[in-house]
Parts: sequence; C-alpha cells; structure tokens
Amino acid sequence: MSREAVLGRVRAALRSAAAVAQPVPAGAAAAVPALPALPDHQVVADPVTLFVERARAVATTVEICATVDDAAVQAAAWLAARGARRVVAWDDPDVATVAVRLAAGGIEVTPPGVASDIVAQADAGLTGAAWGIAESASLVLPADPQRPRLFSLLPPLHVAVLRAGRILPDLPALFEHLQATHPSGLPPAALPSALAFVSGPSRSADIGLVPVQGAHGPMEVAVLVVTR
Amino acid sequence: MSTEPAIPVRPLAGARPGDMRARLAQALADPMLQTALGRAIPGFRRMRASAVAEVPEWEVLRRLAAHIKDHTLAVLDRYLEQFEAAVRARGGVVHWAADAAEAQRTIIDLLRALGVHQVVKSKSMVTEEIGLNAALEAAGVRVVETDLGEYVLQLAGEAPSHLIAPMIHKPIEAVSELFAVALGAPRYERAEDLNRVARAALRREFLAADAGITGVNFAVAETGTLVIVENEGNARLVTSCPRVHVAVLGIEKLLPRLADLGVFLRLLARSATGQRASVYVSLLTGPRRSGEADGPDELHVVLVDNGRTRLLADPDLREALRCIRCSACLNVCPVFERAGGHAYGSVYAGPIGAVLTPALWGLRPARELPFASTLCGACGEVCPVSIDLPRLLLELRARVVREGLVGRPDRLFARLWTLVMRSPTRLTLFGALGRALQRLAVSEGRIDRLRGPLAGWTAHRAAPPLAAVPFRVRWRARGGRPGRGRP
Repeated sequence: MSREAVLGRVRAALRSAAAVAQPVPAGAAAAVPALPALPDHQVVADPVTLFVERARAVATTVEICATVDDAAVQAAAWLAARGARRVVAWDDPDVATVAVRLAAGGIEVTPPGVASDIVAQADAGLTGAAWGIAESASLVLPADPQRPRLFSLLPPLHVAVLRAGRILPDLPALFEHLQATHPSGLPPAALPSALAFVSGPSRSADIGLVPVQGAHGPMEVAVLVVTR
Repeated sequence: MSTEPAIPVRPLAGARPGDMRARLAQALADPMLQTALGRAIPGFRRMRASAVAEVPEWEVLRRLAAHIKDHTLAVLDRYLEQFEAAVRARGGVVHWAADAAEAQRTIIDLLRALGVHQVVKSKSMVTEEIGLNAALEAAGVRVVETDLGEYVLQLAGEAPSHLIAPMIHKPIEAVSELFAVALGAPRYERAEDLNRVARAALRREFLAADAGITGVNFAVAETGTLVIVENEGNARLVTSCPRVHVAVLGIEKLLPRLADLGVFLRLLARSATGQRASVYVSLLTGPRRSGEADGPDELHVVLVDNGRTRLLADPDLREALRCIRCSACLNVCPVFERAGGHAYGSVYAGPIGAVLTPALWGLRPARELPFASTLCGACGEVCPVSIDLPRLLLELRARVVREGLVGRPDRLFARLWTLVMRSPTRLTLFGALGRALQRLAVSEGRIDRLRGPLAGWTAHRAAPPLAAVPFRVRWRARGGRPGRGRP
C-alpha cells in the first residue's frame, strides 16, 4: 500500500520536524503557521485600455469593435487577408453572430463535434472568452461540449470574441468571481474540465534562443473586444 | 564510488558523483557551451529584473508565497488527502509512489493495463528525476518529448541542462545538423524553419498518441486542479489529444486554494522568463466530461515522494520544498553562468539543485554540490518564494564536514587555518612566512601560477598577493587598537 506508506512518511516527517523545532508536550499539537489571507485584486482605472496595450506587447492583434456586427466585419477582413477559408467555431452566443456573417460571406464554418484532424486542417479557430485579464492580457477559455479546447490550439490563427465588460484587472479578480458563489471554499465541480489562460501566440525560444511564434499552437492570436 | 544505499535516481548520463571537478573543467574548456551561456544568461537576468521592477508589491508577494507554502508543508498530509478526494470526486485516479522505482513501476503497469503503446510528454523535471523515459522505453512504450528543447535533446540522446531552457547549451547549428541526420530535413539555418520541421513532426505524434504524460506546476487541494504553465502549447496538446493523461508530481506541489494561484502564477512567470504571464496556463480538473470533444477519458495522478519527506523532516532544510522551479537562482548564479547545468551531474542544477540533490541522492554522493557556490547571496535575493539558499548551502557544507566527507587535505588545511587564526602571534608569524614565500609566485603584481595541490586556486583566476604591510600594522599606525572601534 503505497498510499499509506507515503502518507505515513509525511506524518512521521512532520512529527519529527516539529519535535526538533519546538518540543511540545506529548499529545499537544505543534503550532502550524496560519494560512495567510490573500490580498484583494488591484484597482485598474481602465482595464480595457490596459488589456489592449498589454495584448499588443505580447504580439496579440487586438481591435476594439463597437458592436458584434463590427466584429464580424473585422473577422472577415482578417481571414481574407490570410487567405483563410475554413474556420472551426465555438457554439457560443458571443461567437454566433460572427460565425453566421462569416458563413454568409462564403467561409466554411464548422461547429464543435468534429474529429481533431479536421480541426487541425482548419485555417482558423473562432472562440469566445469567458473573461479577459488586463494585467497579463490573458483570455480565459473554459472547456465544455460547445467549447472544444483544440479550436484555440490547432489552427494557425485563433480569433477570439471578448466582451469588454468581461475584462477583469488581474487574476485575483478572476478567482474572486469564481468564489463569489462558494463562500465556504470552491468545490471541484465549480471548475470546467479545462480552464486555459491564453496570453498571445504559442512561443518558444528553445532553438538557438531565437523567439519563434507558433511553436505548436497558433502563430497568431487576434482578439475582437466588443464594447456593446 | 559511494557506500550509500543505492538510491534509484538516475544521475545524468555519464555523470558520476564525485567527479564534479572534472565536469567543471570540461565545461569551462567548452567554447560552444561558454558562448551559449554567455548569450543566454544575461538576457534571462535582464528580463526578470525588468518584469519584477514593474510589480511594486513584489516583496510582499514573495513573503506571502513563502507563508502559503510553509503552511501547506506543515500540514501536508491533510492537503494531500483533500487533494486526493477532490481528484476522485471529478473522476480522476490518484496513485502514490514512495521512490523513483515505484513511480516507474506504477506508470508502466498503468500504461500496460490501458493498452498504451505511444506516449507524448510535455516537459517535466520530476519525470527526469525518476528516469521515466528510459524505463518506459525498456518496457516497450514509445515516448516522444514534445517541448521543442526536450524533443531536440531526446533526438540527440542528451539531458536537459536548465530548468526552463533545457538546451541552453546547444547552438542552432547543432540543431540543424541533428534534424538533417535524424529527420532527413534540409540543413536549415533559421530557427523559424527548424521550428516548422519540429512542429510538423510533433503534430503527427500528438494526434497518434494513446497517452500524454506531464509534470505539474501547482496542484490545488481544494478543487483537485492540476495547473500546468508553458509557452509552447505542447502541454495543452498533450492533455487534450490522447485518451489518457498521466500527471506526475512531487508531493510538495500542493497549494491549498485555487486563489493562491493569483500569487504564485504572477511570481513564476516573472521570475522564470520575465513574462507578465506565460502564454498558456492550463487549469485541469478531472478528465473530460460527457459530450466534450477533447480532453482525456482517463486522468491518473501520480504523487511522488522520492526523498521529499527527508527534506520535510528536516527543519533546517524544509524550506527547499517551497521551490517552484522557476530557475531564477540558476540565472543569477556566477557558478551556473560559467559551468552550465550538466557540470552539476544532477537533474537539478544551480543553487537549488545543490540543495535538492543531497535529499535525493543522500549527502555522500552529492557532497561536492553545496560547495559549487561563491555564497554571493544573489540566489536568495531573487528566489520568488524567499528560500534562504545561501543559508541552506552553508548548512549542507557544515553537514558534509561533520560527517567526515571532506578529503584529508581539506581537513588538514582547515585545522591549520583555525590554529593560525586563533592567535595574533601565529597570524603575524604566518603572514611574514607567506610574504617571504609568495615572492616565488608573484608576477606582475598577481599570483597566477601556483603549482601542485594549490594549482586549482589560480587555474582560472589570479589571486592578489599579501600586502607588504599588514592591515593590523597600518591600523595601529593610525592609532587604532586591536578589537576596538575607529582610530
């Protein structure tokens, strides 16, 4: 039974360390350093502007669009400029209008439910984002049946639709949101099977220390920030 | 060779405990390595410094991180049980391994039972530590490393030499040659082209593999969430494409709350690469759920002890378990900057490696490592979880001496030194003797060619000669008194 063996070793280690550090009478519990409270999230005057500025700093393309219709026009322009014709798209309310417009413009739009080699052959992946994080210019992408993980990963271009109102100042703000409905501790079921924070295109500098975009995932990430 | 009980940990290929001096000499004489390190390390330091300068509350975060880790370690058994229960609640399976051999066996048995023949892996120090790849291959499982650096090293049959830049020692020309020979690729000269070759080859592997094996940066006890931090996207592919995900982690990786990530992720990315955030952070909670197109059907989590409880039991060294493997201490270390990772002979190099390795191997085979430091203190200053590395190195040095693991010449020298330094008369006498003798060694105002057993002192640097008039004499001439304040 390795479980008991490992836990037994952990307990023995904690007992012997406690005995050396601060001898306590038999039966009394050794003092445990308290779990500190975490600082509140930062206050950022204009999280949208900060997100845009920092996204550009990590080579993410960003466009602020007044409406979803404007976003659809911008997405079509990006795809056309890259000769992209096949797109895989999340089944997501923020994405739907854009996807319909693209399809009307002659783009082949594939919804979730296809094999990964089909996703790999797409020219672009179109997703929403549950939140944006301004400090690190991150998109927060949850996984579920309507929102496959690979749509933001296998195609060479990732286009994301992000509502401006979903942009939070920093990670602590995100965790405060997640915990808001679970005051006595977050249960495992509160999280999706995968929650990805994506900050820019896939990168590596492993080969000769030369920074390269598109190591394994998208070479380009383009974000449509929709303000209305 | 060591007389310690055999510890089933693989030292680096070709490395033997006890020949660190030879490896250091080899590293210093390797112009390719010196060029590569000289190009890489100052850049890492600069990027870290500017990323840290941007966060005014940096010191608060470091202390907070240390407190969170210290609390977690102090009740680690409870958090391990909570984590196990949470992983199970989402349909994952937790395995426990006391040492490297058991971890290997557990993973091999698991893969056999699941009919796995092909594995893709993302970068993981703990699987290097337990020698997993060799064990899997011996068991007939094909393993492909997918981190670009690790992929190249696997093709070359070499070990990583840095925590986050595993082939920091390898110039681009060597990669080009390797891809030409191993993959039949044209001899590309540009990193983008070489990356394209690797990307195409690895795409096929991701889609064909039966199982993905990863390390883990943080494991959240409250939710059973595995957190994996990376820039390339290979870990996301490894955990999204194959039908099985095996996550291997040391028991010290636990954090109590999901919200603790708000502290640790900020510290890790900025300390490691100077980024505000790594490109990808994956929070994985259980296998894929009903109706999801990707993600594994099965999630197995392997918790590895392998020497960590030795550190946990040791109040003087326990804080080494706070380490989040950012490599900031490697990048600021003047020894690492010249020696590179392989010279340490351990999977874990640099200041933190010199502390962790004795826990893994035992003190005797690792006895040289705590001395591979100038004690300049830079490692302790940059550590994002406030590990007092200089203190730990000194503590280990003291233990090496106490356990009689230093050679007779060193002991003799230390005894002589003590004898001389304890008496002003003897010090004066020896100073005079030294000034007389050094005439044989001083040239152009420096001592740079000692011979015999002392040759090592001047092989790579020059020592200043003893002053013609000792400090104590000059002090007294200015009216100062021994052992008192200003003249």
